[in-house]
Amino acid sequence: MTGRTLGRALVGAAIAAAVLLPLAFQGTQPYYLQLAINVLISATLALSWDLLARTGQLSLAHAAFYGLGAYTSVLLTTRAGVPVLLGMAAGALVASAAAVLLGFLTLRLRGIYFAIATLAFSETLRVITNQLPFTGRATGLIAPALLGGQRAAQYLVILVILVVLVIVSGWINRSRWHFAFTAIRTNEEVAAVIGVDVVRFKVLAFAISACFAGVVGAYYAHVFLFISPLEVYSLAVSVGALVAPIFGGLYTTAGPLIGAVVLRAGEELLRSTVGGGYPIIYGFLLAVVILYMPRGLAGLWSAASARLFRRRPLREARAG
Amino acid sequence: MVIFGVLRSGLYSLTSVGLALAVGVVGIVNFAHGEFLMLGAFLGYWLFFSYGLDPLAAIPIGAAVVFLLGAGVYRLGIQRVLRAPELNQMLLTFGISIFLQNLAIILWGGDPRVATVSYKASAVSLGALTVGVPQLVVFALAMALTLALYAVLGGTRIGKAMRAVAQNRLGASLLGIEVDRIYLLAFGLSTALAGTAGMMITLQLSVSPFIGLLYTLKAFAIIVIAGLGNINGVIYASLVLGLSEAFVEFYVPQGGGWAEGVFFFLILLVLLVRPRGLFR
Repeated sequence: MTGRTLGRALVGAAIAAAVLLPLAFQGTQPYYLQLAINVLISATLALSWDLLARTGQLSLAHAAFYGLGAYTSVLLTTRAGVPVLLGMAAGALVASAAAVLLGFLTLRLRGIYFAIATLAFSETLRVITNQLPFTGRATGLIAPALLGGQRAAQYLVILVILVVLVIVSGWINRSRWHFAFTAIRTNEEVAAVIGVDVVRFKVLAFAISACFAGVVGAYYAHVFLFISPLEVYSLAVSVGALVAPIFGGLYTTAGPLIGAVVLRAGEELLRSTVGGGYPIIYGFLLAVVILYMPRGLAGLWSAASARLFRRRPLREARAG
Repeated sequence: MVIFGVLRSGLYSLTSVGLALAVGVVGIVNFAHGEFLMLGAFLGYWLFFSYGLDPLAAIPIGAAVVFLLGAGVYRLGIQRVLRAPELNQMLLTFGISIFLQNLAIILWGGDPRVATVSYKASAVSLGALTVGVPQLVVFALAMALTLALYAVLGGTRIGKAMRAVAQNRLGASLLGIEVDRIYLLAFGLSTALAGTAGMMITLQLSVSPFIGLLYTLKAFAIIVIAGLGNINGVIYASLVLGLSEAFVEFYVPQGGGWAEGVFFFLILLVLLVRPRGLFR
């Protein structure tokens, strides 16, 4: 066993332990299980956002897919009697469909125009949800519980969703898709010239990313049992999904996850100390990261390890 | 209805012309624009509440304070990303926006506040219509300031320097214009305009830490309709937005709620159909 595989095994074991720990304490400390669920929701949103960002599309529409997933699932389960898990799957599908539409609409928009258009899309959905007669309008909707409301089982569900997403993300970063995504992100025209099907990959990335955002939105609804337009279509959802990868390290699998964990922990800490204004941490870190550490925590780590072990940070350098 | 639409567009144009200045001259799409407006509004409220100063009379003070704040933000943050990728600039201002909004929540709490000026409820009749005095005053003042800015940009040395820098940074610096100082000035001016608009809002509506985002987005809608960086189109674009909002409010059932979405819809439409903007 080489040092590298041993290190990986140790990291894997540590992650497994950390992941299973909340389950061990669920009887005495239900708060930690709840916190763990929140962290995993953030992590899934962050990593799914990063998938889309890998094609150079920095979207502010993640809340749109999150909200669509939530509303689709809640409406189907309460009005049509669909089982909750099936409702969640439908939520993912509807979110993906909307993403394909948005993807085609915004295909030619770049940078700031793209960001504004996606934000407008998301807010338009919020206004529509506020106005339609069957969505409960601004008051919101009450959602049925997932798996009879057992927290431990619910925790495993979001864990499974995240693991699937991690596998998808890892696969993308190892396959030919990685080169296609990176080429599109770096220079779309050149990518098209060298034979990358730009339209297909951009729209696909949108669909996959939204699929996970949608399923998490639905999951959120059935765990917290209540949704309202102001909450699920909130800009805060999109912001959280974007700050975590930027803070943790863009275009990697580990970066968004680490970013989400750190941010969520910081948020929890601030929530108990300053109360109302806790999202200040998102603003502060976003500004600091942009100004002082443009490649996020992952970048810091690869720079530090390169200095320590005198080797070039190959993998991360490729990602940056 | 037309009157209401037009009156509303005064405040819109004052807010957006500031953002257009930041975009056009400095080249920064400032997501925190509305937050400076929010700070101006709080300043107006505070000056009124503690010192009994009329928000309109306090505008010079508020504008100066917000100008300094904006200049500080420029020196500490914006200046460092002038040559960074566009998305980094956007994300930085986005971070500043979240930071300022939540700072306001921590400092002043999230409840809306209202400054009750003596003439708040008074109205005058214009022909067959009755119009609120604050609305009328704000409209006149906002339009005057917007036009004054146009005059400054068109006629004075500093305005010409700003336009020169906007056209070509290198060329302007070769002509002996201190580009960095112009940027600082333009950004400060841009935030001061937002702050002024904020103080006018104190007069009509309630003040809370959450009002910033809405105005950022509306200002975005307007400068997108005008064409990003096109300062002259802002007045027309503001009219388009103000009128279409009023139209929706009057003619669509439950229009109040739908009017909220008008500007998003306009953004989407303009970006998809004519991304260069309608007015150029």
